[in-house]
Amino acid sequence: MSEGRGGEKWLLEAREVKKSYECGQIEALRGVSLGVAAGEFLAITGPSGSGKSTLLHLLGGLDEPTEGAVVFRGECLGQVRDGAACIALDAYRARYAGFIFQSFHLLPALNALENVQVPLLGSGVHGHGREEKARGLLVELGLAHRLKQYPTQLSAGERQRVAIARALVNEPQVLLADEPTGNLDSVNSAKILEILAQVQARHGTTLVMVTHDPGIAASAHRHVAMRDGLICE
Amino acid sequence: MQLSFAGFAWRNVWRRRLRTALTLGGIGMGIGAFVALVGFSRSFEHAWLEMYENAGTDLAVVQKTFLNTSVDESAGAVLRGIPQVARAAPMIINMMAVSPEVNTLVYGWKADTFEFSALNILQGRKFQDGQQEVMLGELLAGSLNKKVGDTLDLQGSTFRVVGIFRSGSALEDGAIIMPLDQMQGLSEMQGKVTAYHVRLKAAPAGVTAEQWRQEAENAVEKDLPGLRAVPAAQRAANNQLVILAHAAAWGTSLIALLVAALGIANTMAMSVFERTKEIGVLRAMGWSRRRVMALILVEAGALGLAGGVTGLLLGWGALHVLGALPQTASIASTTLPVATLLEGLLMAVLVGVLAGSVPAWHGAQLSPVEALRHE
Repeated sequence: MSEGRGGEKWLLEAREVKKSYECGQIEALRGVSLGVAAGEFLAITGPSGSGKSTLLHLLGGLDEPTEGAVVFRGECLGQVRDGAACIALDAYRARYAGFIFQSFHLLPALNALENVQVPLLGSGVHGHGREEKARGLLVELGLAHRLKQYPTQLSAGERQRVAIARALVNEPQVLLADEPTGNLDSVNSAKILEILAQVQARHGTTLVMVTHDPGIAASAHRHVAMRDGLICE
Repeated sequence: MQLSFAGFAWRNVWRRRLRTALTLGGIGMGIGAFVALVGFSRSFEHAWLEMYENAGTDLAVVQKTFLNTSVDESAGAVLRGIPQVARAAPMIINMMAVSPEVNTLVYGWKADTFEFSALNILQGRKFQDGQQEVMLGELLAGSLNKKVGDTLDLQGSTFRVVGIFRSGSALEDGAIIMPLDQMQGLSEMQGKVTAYHVRLKAAPAGVTAEQWRQEAENAVEKDLPGLRAVPAAQRAANNQLVILAHAAAWGTSLIALLVAALGIANTMAMSVFERTKEIGVLRAMGWSRRRVMALILVEAGALGLAGGVTGLLLGWGALHVLGALPQTASIASTTLPVATLLEGLLMAVLVGVLAGSVPAWHGAQLSPVEALRHE
């Protein structure tokens, strides 16, 4: 693990990351440094276009920074740089990171139980083991009676719970959530937050969440706000 | 409800049922054409081989040139003088119209040819040399509704049906056999024949059948320059009609397969485009480019395989139709060799995977973030 400015050991860290698009015409991130400790719940807030989702994508290994580095347990993510030990992005996402999206992104051809098994395909976990693991998570998230339902047959709250089970099935160390309650009513939002808090407490998972909701941000262990591609508070 | 990689691929293919069914129809037509046409041409070749084997023909003596198959009748005496040769029978083969719809093979034989040994005369008798007489294979007699005593018009001449026969070969059961001299007249080949069919004596002790046949072939080519002796199996495969049938079958099948491949490529390209966001989700879940590519290739291969099975059924049906049509009944075998079935399936999967490779490559190149943003 790398060490933070205050002496903390960061599990995941962005070091002076910049991200630009269209040959530098658009600068989404303009030099952001941020550390996340193991087991921490960090909320990132900011207006649309502030760069919070881009930062989440970089922390989750979905994209690489134009400059700077993202470091996980002391190893950089992505291509090998200056001979330093690096973790391939695919491997990082498969083994250490889980994603939860605002629009759930469940696969429509598969039912709930099958959707949760998808990250395990080709992971070395055998068929029966995959099914058991997926079933266990869905039961834990209160969906024991909805295993065979397809996404279109599930309510929005249920879909997000299936998506959470899918994100957890690989037992990730970091859970990255992009507005996970953005498409939910207040009752379902509260339920999803409660589930995420339980997951974090039970599994010790680190949670990084992008949100517009100040209430959610207030419930996090730590909260950073972004504006114009920079952290402002 | 375990989810397997192949099961996932098939679910993706099957979710657009109409498009998949239409694509399967396209592949099925391509593979069906392959199975029916190539199967037909192979059964045609097999029928030739069967005919030679049943008659006990070891060698066919023909001209060395590919197109000109006319051999001077005087070669018979020379052949009979070769020590390995037991019998040498002249023959002519041609295709003639017996009705506006039906073309059939017509053979010209001598009444004393050893090739009669393979025929079972069901009604009537053998023809006599020099007479305007014909014998009909039982399939042809049935389709023309002819019996012994009836007459048959061929190339403007009238022949009397003197016998109905059954042979082990579909080529003969659907054919006409007439005296060689009559056939020479009809074909304007006086003094000429298509080939000599040769039966060899038994190989002496200490000489293998292969060596004996080789010696006979060498002797024929030495004593009759310009002619060559071809083993029966090779003659069946190199027969001009067989070569033409193979060429037509493969040519047509390849065009049909190309159309099928374009159908799969289009379906897979559409599928990848429509599922861009889903591919982004898979990548976000840690799927590597290689695994995404494998998924799309397995989907394309599954389409090919399912299309192949459809094609085998269509091909099998088409062969049965060919077997029932009077124009082709005599040369179409309705049994499909296992090799042709396996070839058809293998080709279908290969076509699927090849056609899916470009869409698969495109799908695998998608950046997860770009793919997730796709609308």
